[in-house]
Amino acid sequence: MAHIHLEDGAFTPFWLIVWNLIAAAMMGIALLMLRRQGASPRRLAIASMCAAVGFAVFQIEVPTPVGPAHMNFTPLIGILIGPSLGTVVVLVVNVFSAAIGHGGWGMIGPNSIVNIIEVVLGYYAFRLARIHLRRSYFWSGFGATVLALTISSFVVVLIVGISEIQGSSLTRDQTINNMLVIAALNIATGIIEGVVTAYVVSFLGRVRPDLLEHHRIPDQVQENIVHAAGVS
Amino acid sequence: MVHRMNPWTKLALLFFVVALVTVLLNVYAVLLLLAMTILFYLAARLPLKVLIGWWSLPVLFVLSLSILYVFTEPGTAFASLRLGGLKIAVTDNGFVLLANLMVKALAVVTYSLTVFMTTRYNHIVHIAYRSMPSTLATVFLLTYRFMFETADEFSDILDAMHSRSGSLAKGVGRRSRTYAGIFGLGFVHAFERAETISKAMEARGFTGSLPVTSGLPRPTFKGYALIGVAVVALAIAVYSRYFDTNLLRW
Repeated sequence: MAHIHLEDGAFTPFWLIVWNLIAAAMMGIALLMLRRQGASPRRLAIASMCAAVGFAVFQIEVPTPVGPAHMNFTPLIGILIGPSLGTVVVLVVNVFSAAIGHGGWGMIGPNSIVNIIEVVLGYYAFRLARIHLRRSYFWSGFGATVLALTISSFVVVLIVGISEIQGSSLTRDQTINNMLVIAALNIATGIIEGVVTAYVVSFLGRVRPDLLEHHRIPDQVQENIVHAAGVS
Repeated sequence: MVHRMNPWTKLALLFFVVALVTVLLNVYAVLLLLAMTILFYLAARLPLKVLIGWWSLPVLFVLSLSILYVFTEPGTAFASLRLGGLKIAVTDNGFVLLANLMVKALAVVTYSLTVFMTTRYNHIVHIAYRSMPSTLATVFLLTYRFMFETADEFSDILDAMHSRSGSLAKGVGRRSRTYAGIFGLGFVHAFERAETISKAMEARGFTGSLPVTSGLPRPTFKGYALIGVAVVALAIAVYSRYFDTNLLRW
């Protein structure tokens, strides 16, 4: 899980404004896409419930070999509801998290950037693995989650490294070195989250395959696979 | 008094609290801000035990990311250790930085909790619709409405798992499957609930935004005065940081 666990006051005003403007632009693009696709009550309700589950899961500690870890399931949310709705969901989850002290109000922007990248990468990587590489739900979910969380861990290093912690005398290189330690831990827990997400996706594929309908291998390809296997 | 305060005033002051902790560098100034937010919390007659409990979360998060700075920040070393040619030292500047970040976090969290614990839901609805795009506001409010129910559901499932000795399962694979089943079930219930809610919403003539049933008046004169004081405080903080660093001498 990659989340910038910094509270308000950690970044300078300049970088706070920059990251929040970038996040606002990404959110604006997502809202425009939603408007074009049509935000039906069903889609809004699904987004809200996913946000509620995501927020609830965020508070649960899963015992792992590297200690208790928090899942945030942003790649899974991207897989289930797509990048535009997923972007709205991560913003809502970050707002509620800020309200309880899990990250600062000013850090909503940087954290949203990180989580939006996870949602988008999770969705497209899963589609690539599932539809084009024809992998199973388990390996598609695992690969997409690990890829998304690994890249987002480095995005966290980039954001904190560029912004630097205000009040600290460390140089940028030293700050990045510190953050690389955190990134290594994030990648380790990301692999664990990848395993859990893979099992969740497999579970959903068994009990509610309609929720993963948009990642189904196209019928034509399905038929080709069947023919190639020699089944009439 | 705090419960009767206009929500717009409280929200505006939240913005200024966040802005002040971002601009202020002096730990004594931030300590003063923390003291004022605690007084604000106490003025709302909210239980102190709850606040101390909620403080554990930002303390944990500040420590998790900033603990490295205690060892790597240049300064006078309190204690040091040599590990195979590498020197690890705990420095005074590292502690000051950690303390600064901690106090800033606690000031914002204290004020945020006071605002949310003293503002009615229908006022939050009004503010959400006035300050966010309607799609975002709808998702935000529906999430707020169902967040507690979902958290309770997960809590019940975890209790059921523990009561059936599920926590004794060893191994990454077995534990992953156990928790994956719980989380997967949570998502399945979420989708089913969403489908039920959307049908209910459409049956009641939902047009894309939740109805705002009560208005919210503008801040009173006292509210504007408080905001004015916050603006002046922020202006002084910005001036002392960027133009005259000797303005606030502690």
